[in-house]
Amino acid sequence: MSNLSLTSAIPNLIKAVPRSRNFEAMLIFWVSGIHAFALAQIQLSVLQVMTWDMLLYWAPPTLAAMIVHWVLRRYAIKADGLMLPLAFLLNGLGIAMIYRLDLAELANGGNDLFAMRQVWLSCFAMLIAAIVIRVIPDHLTLRRFPFVAGLAAVVLLLLPAAPVIGRTVNGATLWVGTGELSFQPGEIAKILLAIFFAGYLVSRQGSLAEIGSRVLGVRVPRAKDLGPILLFWLASLGVLVVQRDLGTSILYFGLFLVMIYTATGRGFYVAAGLVMMVTGALVASRFFGYVESRFDSWLDPFNSANYNAAGGSYQLVQGLFGMANGDVIGTGLGGGFPQLIPLAESDFIFAALGEELGLAGVFVILSIYLLLVYRGLRIANSHPDDFSKLLALGLAFVIGLQVFVVAGGVMGLLPLTGLTTPFLAAGGSSLLANWSIIALLLIISDSSLRSNR
Amino acid sequence: MSELALFLVRIGFVAVLWIFVLSLLSVIRADLYGRRVISKLAKQSAPQLAKAASGSDLPIDDSDSFEPTMIQMLTGRSAGSKIDLGNKREIMIGRAASSDLVISDEFASNMHAKLVLVGEEWVLQDLNSTNGTFLDGKKVTTPVTMTAGATIRIGTTTFDLR
Repeated sequence: MSNLSLTSAIPNLIKAVPRSRNFEAMLIFWVSGIHAFALAQIQLSVLQVMTWDMLLYWAPPTLAAMIVHWVLRRYAIKADGLMLPLAFLLNGLGIAMIYRLDLAELANGGNDLFAMRQVWLSCFAMLIAAIVIRVIPDHLTLRRFPFVAGLAAVVLLLLPAAPVIGRTVNGATLWVGTGELSFQPGEIAKILLAIFFAGYLVSRQGSLAEIGSRVLGVRVPRAKDLGPILLFWLASLGVLVVQRDLGTSILYFGLFLVMIYTATGRGFYVAAGLVMMVTGALVASRFFGYVESRFDSWLDPFNSANYNAAGGSYQLVQGLFGMANGDVIGTGLGGGFPQLIPLAESDFIFAALGEELGLAGVFVILSIYLLLVYRGLRIANSHPDDFSKLLALGLAFVIGLQVFVVAGGVMGLLPLTGLTTPFLAAGGSSLLANWSIIALLLIISDSSLRSNR
Repeated sequence: MSELALFLVRIGFVAVLWIFVLSLLSVIRADLYGRRVISKLAKQSAPQLAKAASGSDLPIDDSDSFEPTMIQMLTGRSAGSKIDLGNKREIMIGRAASSDLVISDEFASNMHAKLVLVGEEWVLQDLNSTNGTFLDGKKVTTPVTMTAGATIRIGTTTFDLR
């Protein structure tokens, strides 16, 4: 009798720890090995010896990722198993590249170092993600406060333009800070905006999709329903004017268009939005000097006038030369000259990785992003609730659009913008925001599987 | 370190990254093509078809043994998706996020209708909804027993049990 109950209990024991969590643990182990490999390769080719310093850059992020994994096991056991290892892999590659740039800086006698900071900021961001997973048991509570989230986003966006705490770096007013500490509130604002759009659109999707008068065979929504899209277009142009940042306004408007299209399923919004965006960009390029110079550098980077201009195409061209030097398989970590690219540790980390890992490496990094965004879209697709669907889609899209705009900018396909490369680039605000996005997606995927059972 | 060793390390690193990504693709393959399920229907229908072909006059009972395992959404916002009935004995249907079957339809009430397992039959009951629940086009006023192929409509959303 006891024998029988023992054997029948086995399937339940296996079920208690879903495959995805054990799989995730294995992947984290693997990723941490890749991270160690990268650091070892860098030390061997730059310093010719391996030193114990490596542990300082390797152990803290691995520990932090394990803590997030443990919190998932405790509080969100059914969450997606691939997102954490994928984000951790990108984070680790970023740290390795920044460490490599630090070694080059030290060799040149400089002391403008970023890697140690990046290590601790990554750990901090991962711990915040763990706390988000622990504290928000049910993301549907977020649905109750769309307007609070929207208002908070606007306040955060306007904060850098405020006196005293506002800061302007490289011509863009995106930072707030005192003394050594600085923060980009816009990074957090994008999460709040996704929550606001999801909440607002879920309550209005019917009237936005169905009601309206026909003009030339196209159903145009009522002014009352169309109001927000116009308002939002003006707001994102406002960001462009006040903060002087092209990337942020493209990101917010793109997020809005994708979410309204998903909520209503109507191409009209996308068509109208794209026309408005292109018109806005063309007008801006005529009237704002900084947009115009960005466009000139983009269209004709090798022109010596653009190349020599202050804030001209010098950085872009250095990046292109670097990637050309990398060829197909790259120079190997520590084998190239990524330190010659200005801001290689933040805005141009993609070009630095392109030089040292080559085309094969760039493709693999883009595939990692693709997998990450794909998992996000899958979470959106499989969730039964509309608010969760929209929120997951918006959050996944934010990561995807950032990668597209940054990689396109670095490769000369799009005008250069001030957006950050998620998880790779040096910078605390960006890490914090992107790890929080991962935490929210994990919560949503957990609740999706719970409600289906 | 020799040039050759460095070269191997450099190739090795990119290769390890690729192996990592490609191994994840095997997980995703299951997403795209679905896990292999041995079709219960295919197994059962084969002998039945054989019987029908041999001219046997044994009736194929379908109304008595209607044991649905899932809800198939036919039209509406989540058309095409399937909801597993699992071991549930009651399915709340409505716009509320707490419903077992969430219907995002302008014409659905928060708690619109429910399906209850009575004995071995699923019974559909309207919960005094604003716009009504329809079974095969007829408005549901008193609880009705579900039969195979009967379609439930709420607003513009339709689904059936199978």
